[in-house]
Amino acid sequence: MYDPFHEVLSDVRGTILKQARALDRPVIGVMPAYFPLELVYASGGFPVQLWGNRLAPSRADAYLQSYCCSVARSAMELELAGGADMVRGYAFTSLCDTLVNLREVYRRVVDKPTVELSIPVTQTAEARRNYLSSGLDKVNRGLQEMAGGRMTPESLAEASELYGRVRALQRRLYALRLERAGLVSNLDFYAVLKAGSFLGPEYYAKLLSDLLEKLDSMDPPEDSGPRLLLSGLVYDPLELHRILDRLGVRVVQDDFANGWRTVSKETLAVENLVEGVARYLFGPAPCCCLYNPENDRHDYLVDHARKAGADGVLFWYLKFCEPDAFDRPQLMKRLTDEGIPSSVVELELSMQNFDAIGTRLSAFCEMLEG
Amino acid sequence: MTEFQTFSKMKELMTAYYFEAKTTKEKPIAWITSGAPVEFLFAMDIIPIYPENYAAMCAANHQSVELMEAAEAQGFSQDICAYARTDFGADILQGGPVGGLPAPHFLLCSTNICKTVIKWYEVIARKYDVPLFIVDTPFVHDGLTDDLLEYTVAQFKDLEQFLARITGRPFDHEHLAEVLRLSQEAAAYWKKILFLARTVPTPINSLDSFIHLGPIVTLRGTQGCVDYYRALYEEVAGRAENKIPSVPGERYRVLWDNLPVWFKMRRLENFFQERKCALVVTTYANSWGGLSNYEDEEMADPYRLLAASYLNVYINYGFEERIRYLSGLMDEFSLTGFIMHSNRSCKPYSVGMYRLQEELSQRTGRPGVVIEADQNDPRVYSDAQIEARLDAFIESMEAAS
Repeated sequence: MYDPFHEVLSDVRGTILKQARALDRPVIGVMPAYFPLELVYASGGFPVQLWGNRLAPSRADAYLQSYCCSVARSAMELELAGGADMVRGYAFTSLCDTLVNLREVYRRVVDKPTVELSIPVTQTAEARRNYLSSGLDKVNRGLQEMAGGRMTPESLAEASELYGRVRALQRRLYALRLERAGLVSNLDFYAVLKAGSFLGPEYYAKLLSDLLEKLDSMDPPEDSGPRLLLSGLVYDPLELHRILDRLGVRVVQDDFANGWRTVSKETLAVENLVEGVARYLFGPAPCCCLYNPENDRHDYLVDHARKAGADGVLFWYLKFCEPDAFDRPQLMKRLTDEGIPSSVVELELSMQNFDAIGTRLSAFCEMLEG
Repeated sequence: MTEFQTFSKMKELMTAYYFEAKTTKEKPIAWITSGAPVEFLFAMDIIPIYPENYAAMCAANHQSVELMEAAEAQGFSQDICAYARTDFGADILQGGPVGGLPAPHFLLCSTNICKTVIKWYEVIARKYDVPLFIVDTPFVHDGLTDDLLEYTVAQFKDLEQFLARITGRPFDHEHLAEVLRLSQEAAAYWKKILFLARTVPTPINSLDSFIHLGPIVTLRGTQGCVDYYRALYEEVAGRAENKIPSVPGERYRVLWDNLPVWFKMRRLENFFQERKCALVVTTYANSWGGLSNYEDEEMADPYRLLAASYLNVYINYGFEERIRYLSGLMDEFSLTGFIMHSNRSCKPYSVGMYRLQEELSQRTGRPGVVIEADQNDPRVYSDAQIEARLDAFIESMEAAS
């Protein structure tokens, strides 16, 4: 049932090349996070999401210090090692200090065009709107040059419908996981999600629909291990989900930037693109990287965990991700005050040995099962 | 450090500043980032407090480790900025040279130095349950544009409203004009002081300028700040005229990029003195001379002037502009090489630095070195490794001379 998704992940390169040929669109690499894929698609590109990979940095070490996160380092390693040769250009957002500078490094080292969606975080509403508007004009021009097409109301509407449909299907999968905890293993769940990063929206939507149809008639196993909510930037490395599966953990909800924080976004409203993109960027789930006091992350996470009936929250900390690291101590305290246990694991995307983390997870589960 | 008569005046000025901040009953206290538009606060008689400045003081006094450990014990990862950890610890223990900072009534933060400050200030805002105002100054990838200026100006106007609400009185535009004049005057003196380092041998070195940064960071916009830098300027100018070197026997003239290593100031001073190597200019200290870069006719709209000045911060600019600027300094200050501090605590300064080193060396034909260190955390600093790299660098300058 999950084979098509695992097959994508076992040959990402081949998948992208095949999809690009079928779509007859140039591949645009989309860096983390929240760059609306709709804009790339509407400009004639095939957006492929690059949330890092398992390559250990070697060539990238010449440019990025060891204190940069492994998302940035492995993405650059892929490019320098030639693994991203099919990528015609890159789309960035101004998500964090590392990614902002990474774009500057790419502009000097990688002979490919880049665009950046500069995300305004001011609370001065009109200024935010105006700045976003001029930023979107720049993105539009950049994408047009890169992808070769022109963003039109029609192409935007089509892209918005396609990606809106994909996220709606992903939300159904999330809902199913919540209602029938344990039905989908953690590894399969995130493999399904991740495969979407490298597939055309229509094809992916079809795979998702087929899967959901099969799952609809299935019952979950009897109640077993603890119900967890995972919180972090990226749900990788997938190997860790295999460990959670072995421990009998049922992940019922998440708060990953490439998980629920993105999946929860409604269809991009394109009639007023500036308003639509603003809503897309800042809601409904808050992100540690985007300042937005109107959508408090502490209240949100407590509520998110409660609604999911989670027994505990596991912080999935990707080393050197400062925005995530700053939030965590106060968040954990708040969760404790609310009676929700939490723990943290530290990760690198290229890590090979999971023994220590496995032991830690096992201890956390035992504590939850009390 | 070079012994300046004026130094005692700085100590008096800074002591008075911290004394007032710690004892005031009338004036509101705002915690503020080093690159935020403090002029608006002085215009409303609000005392600005700089956690960054305080963190640097803690490290220079060799107190940062104990403070960081207190923050780490509360769960703050060693991956986050060491300034932030030092300040969190100072707040927890009420530690450091003045026994902790006075509690804030609100916070003002600008993103021109990093996005990390948003996270840092969010933590403080939650802890003290106080409002946080962010002036978002986006990264300038391709030069200053009208949309960036207008975006920033609109936020300044909003900041005025915010301050009026906080203080319960209308924003004082007349006072702002006066504060702005004083701020520009202080920035102009600061820049003139730094430019005296073009003299060979230099009468002031970068370790001196790091030490003398306090008032321009914390008190720009006040008369005391202007008076102090006027006096310092006169003293340094006198030394320049009389060719009194800050590093006796000066043989090498070097640029320092990034923040200083605050906990190694004395050791590095001795190291460079022994090798007759003068750190002549630094991108970091230069960052506070910006307001004086604009001519009178550009002053017609003070908001645009301030916006340009606060956007135009070295680390808020793209690499093309950084290299152009660095190359210019290499020539203007007759430099023989450059040192780049790859600073674990400052990603906007450091990420991409190895590429900048490569390009700058190619463009200027002069050697450069990158050292891996941290502005505030001695636990990630190795004397032996860094000094070996610096020695090799000095040899390469010798070979190139």
